[in-house]
Amino acid sequence: MAIKVTKVTQDPRTDIRERMYIPELLHGLAITTRHFFRNLFGTRDTNTQVQDRTGTSLMTTVEYPEEKPIYPEGYRGLHRLVPREDGKPRCVACYMCATICPAQCIYIEAGEYEETDADGESRVIEKYPTQFVIDELRCIVCGLCVDACPKDAIRMDTYMHTPSEYTRQNFVYDIPKLLKGPAVSHPSDPWNKREGSEEPHHTHKEAHTRIGEGLVQLKTPQLGAGHDHQGGHGKAVVAHGQTVVTQQGPIQVTKFLK
Amino acid sequence: MKRVLTVLFAMGFIVATLAGVSAAAYVVAGLAEKYWFVGASRLSNILFLMLVFVMIIATLLTIAERKWSALMQDRVGPNRARINLPGIRNRSLAGLPHILTDVLKMLTKEDFIPGTANRFLFKLGPILAFAPVFALFAVVPAGPSVTVFGHHVDMVVATPDFGVLYLLAIASLAVYGTALAGWSSNNKFALLGGVRASSQMISYEVALGLSLVGLFMAFSSLQLPPLVGELGLDGAQGTGQAQYLWSSSFSFFGRELDFGLPAWGFILQPIGFIGFFVASFAETKRAPFDVPEGESEIIGYFVEYSGMKFGMFMISEFVEVVVLAGVTTALFFGGHHLPVGGEWLASQPLMQEHGWLYGTLLATVFWVKVVFLIWVQLVIRWTFPRFRYDQIQSLGWKILLPLGLANVFVTGALVLWDPSLRALAVVGMLEIGVLVVLTMTKKAEAAEGGAHGAHGAHGHDHGHDAHGLPSHASAASTH
Repeated sequence: MAIKVTKVTQDPRTDIRERMYIPELLHGLAITTRHFFRNLFGTRDTNTQVQDRTGTSLMTTVEYPEEKPIYPEGYRGLHRLVPREDGKPRCVACYMCATICPAQCIYIEAGEYEETDADGESRVIEKYPTQFVIDELRCIVCGLCVDACPKDAIRMDTYMHTPSEYTRQNFVYDIPKLLKGPAVSHPSDPWNKREGSEEPHHTHKEAHTRIGEGLVQLKTPQLGAGHDHQGGHGKAVVAHGQTVVTQQGPIQVTKFLK
Repeated sequence: MKRVLTVLFAMGFIVATLAGVSAAAYVVAGLAEKYWFVGASRLSNILFLMLVFVMIIATLLTIAERKWSALMQDRVGPNRARINLPGIRNRSLAGLPHILTDVLKMLTKEDFIPGTANRFLFKLGPILAFAPVFALFAVVPAGPSVTVFGHHVDMVVATPDFGVLYLLAIASLAVYGTALAGWSSNNKFALLGGVRASSQMISYEVALGLSLVGLFMAFSSLQLPPLVGELGLDGAQGTGQAQYLWSSSFSFFGRELDFGLPAWGFILQPIGFIGFFVASFAETKRAPFDVPEGESEIIGYFVEYSGMKFGMFMISEFVEVVVLAGVTTALFFGGHHLPVGGEWLASQPLMQEHGWLYGTLLATVFWVKVVFLIWVQLVIRWTFPRFRYDQIQSLGWKILLPLGLANVFVTGALVLWDPSLRALAVVGMLEIGVLVVLTMTKKAEAAEGGAHGAHGAHGHDHGHDAHGLPSHASAASTH
């Protein structure tokens, strides 16, 4: 059988539809038109995860300031100093976070409680931070400070990123700006172990409490049927298995008492 | 559902606005005839057709192009500009406030002239690019001639004998603006853009003119109003595109409702329509024919322009889009006529009594067609990638020009054979039918094709396999 030799320079389009241009052009126009009308009449569901959008419109844009994507569970956001139940920071000024910080963005000045302090609650702990400053511009958001903290006093569970500011000085966060969010109390905290405490100090052991656990209900959006509490842990679980913890609106800043 | 209702309301609002401005145009024209002098309606038509309709639609197109292209590309489009008034402070208003911000930006930007530029020609460039396209709409009839307040009113600015030739002549004048802008900027990229623009526009002039010759022969006129035609009232035969090729009628609300196949240009001249549309698309210098602009390689002939001078180039492009839609409507889509029932509508007592109402209705029909064709142009612009420069030239000279010539001969023969245009319409519909069939069907598989085609495809596959196997083997051995 003689093999038919085709010239290299020959037009590869053998079909009359392709050689006439117009039928293929009309196909292209049909695609564009379909997109146009689907997006024109289709509704776009807002304020959900991009992957889960179910609107008839094909747009996947998240219109940022009005709609915010929900950060995933474990997102390392802006720091916060965890307050105690009485509004003071849990921090005991041990310098662990400042020491481990690879960006050296944490600055702490420690103060000491007087032995004769009338405030009985403070007698069980010796130190507190008179200054606790984080330069958010230098922070590399590695989360080592959270890991290093022995008192669960610094967390990155605000689920918001550092907001924009007009001056660099505004990125230097001090205690009034850092101390916010729900208070955290552990049964093993020293002020819970003092005499007369209603919590028996032998039922809980320090090793059982981990960061993120505790008595705290975080401020979470109620997201329908999938929401439930798992053994009192402060996490909202969405039906898709993703824990969603967002802070809508300005975060309540707990007043620094000391 | 809310979205659908909103969009439908917006569409209805657009049609209502078109109707409202059309009514205003007719009433003002009638008043001008009555209280000023006979023929003053032509002056008010300049105001309404060119300044109100063409300019406002072109201005709205600046935002419509961005918003519609966003819809076609699954984007949201511009929506950040807000008007700081109570009630609409937090609404994007479909991006319409962007028009205001664009105008403000254009007007307040630095008006820079390069030091080595020829200042006079540099300033003349945008004017020469803008003025001709603006003047193009003068000969396009945007509505029927009716009697308003006892005076005869035409919804057209000028009806010169040379009609369409005026269009072709003025449209080709626009190339001076781009060529001058490109040359006087003293910038090599601008010069490249100007040269590309002039060569492209000159080569498509021929195809543009030839594609319309068939239409002139079919309707025996060069003027646009006769091409659009007049309805056959009181037993008379309709003329131009208002006539029916095959028609029938039945009684409807006490009068004869006419329906049939109107002799619209795109039915008689499908090849002419495609040729005209493609060639005039090339004249507007928009994608897929935007090599003069070529924003990804050379910035274009207006690279040195800033501020409102650049805005003039941009707005002249949009005016060209509107004018092209208007001319195409008048030439190929029956102008202001309804497809069916036009004679029934015209014979209604209400319409005969109130001429402005009748004119408003049909002018709205015209502008709705124009808006639709503008939309078609934008869909084309946002669907196809830019032609390569040699592809543009070969499309113009090797395809459109021979096609136009063949169309002239075939049309001439058919019109000579059957002056009632029915033979021409049959051939035209056959052409449309072939196109539709080719579009709806898919490419045949090689096995189902003819013997020759199958053989060729088989041989090709064989060769491909033979080359493919050793290359795979060598690729495997290297690993």
